[in-house]
Amino acid sequence: MLAYAVRRVLATVPLLVLGTFIVYVLVAVSGDPLAKLATCNTCDQSAFDRIIDLYDLDKPIPERYANWIVNAVQGDFGPAVSYGSLDAGALVLERAANSARIAIPAFLIIMAIAVALGVYSAVNQYSRLDYAVTGLSFLGISLPTFVFALLLQTIMIWMLDGFGWRPFYVTGMRTIELDGFLDMIRSHVLPVITLVLVLTASESRFQRAAMLEVINSDYIRTARAKGVPHRRVILRHGLRNALIPMVTIWALDFAALLGGSVVTETIFAWPGLGPLFISAVTQLDLNLTMAIVMLTSLLVITFNLIADLAYGWLDPRIRYE
Amino acid sequence: MTAPLLEVEDLRVTFGTDDGDVRAVQGLSFTVSEGETLAVVGESGSGKTVAALAIMRLLPRYARIEGSIRFRGTSLLDLDDDGMRGLQGDDLAMVFQDPMTALNPVITVGDQIVEAIRTHRDVTEAAARDRAAELLDLVGIPEPRRRLDSYPHEFSGGMRQRAMIAMAISNDPKLLIADEPTTALDVTVQAQVMEVIRRVQEATGTAVMLVTHDLGLVAGTADRIQVMYGGRLFESGDTDTVFYGSRNPYTLGLMASIPSAVGRTAHRLEPIPGSPPSLINLPEGCVFGPRCAFATDACRSEPELRVVDAATGHATRCHRADELPALIAARAAPREAGA
Ligand SMILES: Nc1ncnc2c1ncn2[C@@H]1O[C@H](COP(=O)(O)OP(=O)(O)O)[C@@H](O)[C@H]1O
Ligand SMILES: [Mg+2]
Repeated sequence: MLAYAVRRVLATVPLLVLGTFIVYVLVAVSGDPLAKLATCNTCDQSAFDRIIDLYDLDKPIPERYANWIVNAVQGDFGPAVSYGSLDAGALVLERAANSARIAIPAFLIIMAIAVALGVYSAVNQYSRLDYAVTGLSFLGISLPTFVFALLLQTIMIWMLDGFGWRPFYVTGMRTIELDGFLDMIRSHVLPVITLVLVLTASESRFQRAAMLEVINSDYIRTARAKGVPHRRVILRHGLRNALIPMVTIWALDFAALLGGSVVTETIFAWPGLGPLFISAVTQLDLNLTMAIVMLTSLLVITFNLIADLAYGWLDPRIRYE
Repeated sequence: MTAPLLEVEDLRVTFGTDDGDVRAVQGLSFTVSEGETLAVVGESGSGKTVAALAIMRLLPRYARIEGSIRFRGTSLLDLDDDGMRGLQGDDLAMVFQDPMTALNPVITVGDQIVEAIRTHRDVTEAAARDRAAELLDLVGIPEPRRRLDSYPHEFSGGMRQRAMIAMAISNDPKLLIADEPTTALDVTVQAQVMEVIRRVQEATGTAVMLVTHDLGLVAGTADRIQVMYGGRLFESGDTDTVFYGSRNPYTLGLMASIPSAVGRTAHRLEPIPGSPPSLINLPEGCVFGPRCAFATDACRSEPELRVVDAATGHATRCHRADELPALIAARAAPREAGA
């Protein structure tokens, strides 16, 4: 198992190199940082030279990439010129932590609700609640994220107008250190709810499908034939098997959440990775863009690995050779 | 005479489907006595599994079940779910057709047997494990104690079916229903599994209801045979009577399709022409009529199951039961003369 994990980690190295190379080339050819400077009247030749030197613009792209990756593996992602030349790596980590503040609670809530709803709808297939869950899921899947976010904000504004008070903040992040526990909660609730609304729908559909397949299987009938109580049949024999296919879905969804949610974070003015990525791309900030890409790639790769290891733990048929 | 262990009376099972009602079992009545082996035989689609699942109360909720099923005097169809669970896996146990899918893939074989024991008996985990190892030994699994910690996928098909049998008998059932226990297995393994069932029956004294489409399999095992077709009982009687004195064209057809049959028609091997009827639109009259070599105008009305020999309880569903021996002799004679 350990040997397998080590081999898997090593196997991701060429993947990361290839992936970042492709993104590097795409970003490098998609816009010229010098063109932006050209519209700047106050900038002199030294500003141009600085940018050329920073990005090795006088060298061919493969060489630029090589320089970048050599520094990157040492943890040096270079300065983020669009953010006052802050260290790109540190900036990304700080923003990633902010994204995680809403991603982690949202994900835990999503898992709990989706498992419960999925199992309940599958076990009570065609019941009223099953139809209700199905209907709401399709609504959740088809409505774009901003609808939920704006709806929640609108409710808060109504409350502010009507009662002169609102329970939750509509924009910005407050922390326990600067603003106290209560304000921290009040600022986190709406973005978390939005993420929950967006993802619970699809996750509970997957869970329902996985559970339906399981409860119609022969071994469930065997468990019933043994006289095992209903709850135990569903949880011990059913859910245990129905969680196996969910692992990959969770891993990918969680990696995506941690990588920042562009729409949700933008609407709630949340200083996460999502808005940072948009601004990095639009400002042609190569170092910043690449640092974010590196982090999100690492997240996806890491969570895929965790999913594969979790498979082996949940399913004894899988052996790591 | 004591009441039989299991008494099924006028059992009818209907599945409402989009295409119409599937009448899987139609007016099935039979009994199983303590300790006996009853073979239920018929082509696939005859309603054998549905009847077995109805007894175990394992049919899906949308199945309409009518009639009465009494087990040791208790009406199973009137029991609430808790009451039924008390019997399932205890006095009333079942082994399923496909051992590859009937065991839970993520739970060790030992834990699955232990669960069967501890669902019904108030014993410690350790005691249940000891018992589970004994059971695996009884069904002929080598190194039983070590094998408790194996997962089903580490067992061969034959071993899994042995483990299923061990699990089913873990609480000394009074009735063991085995639904096609060997159908999914290799021919060489089939005989071994049948031997295990015999051994288990000897060790526990349980009655066995052996469901199979293979009449050849039951010759050496069953005390009585019951032939089903189209959800109905077509013939029933003790094993020798059915094999040597069948009064039913369908049973005779089944025998003709056994390679090593001991029956009178064994000199030729041929399947019954045609295929079992759709249970949604059953033919008028005798359901076997359209495929029957002996069908006459009389067969346009449905024959009743009637007793041929009260002493042995031999019963058959055929208008021409009385003429049948003569009819067969007449058919066989010219062929033998020609040969
Ligand atoms: N759950 C179900 N829903 C609808 N029809 C069913 C169901 N189970 C069995 N049947 C139908 O009942 C008939 C008898 O099936 P079954 O008892 O499995 O036959 P056998 O075991 O004799 O091969 C078949 O026609 C089958 O299609
Ligand atoms: Mg069957």
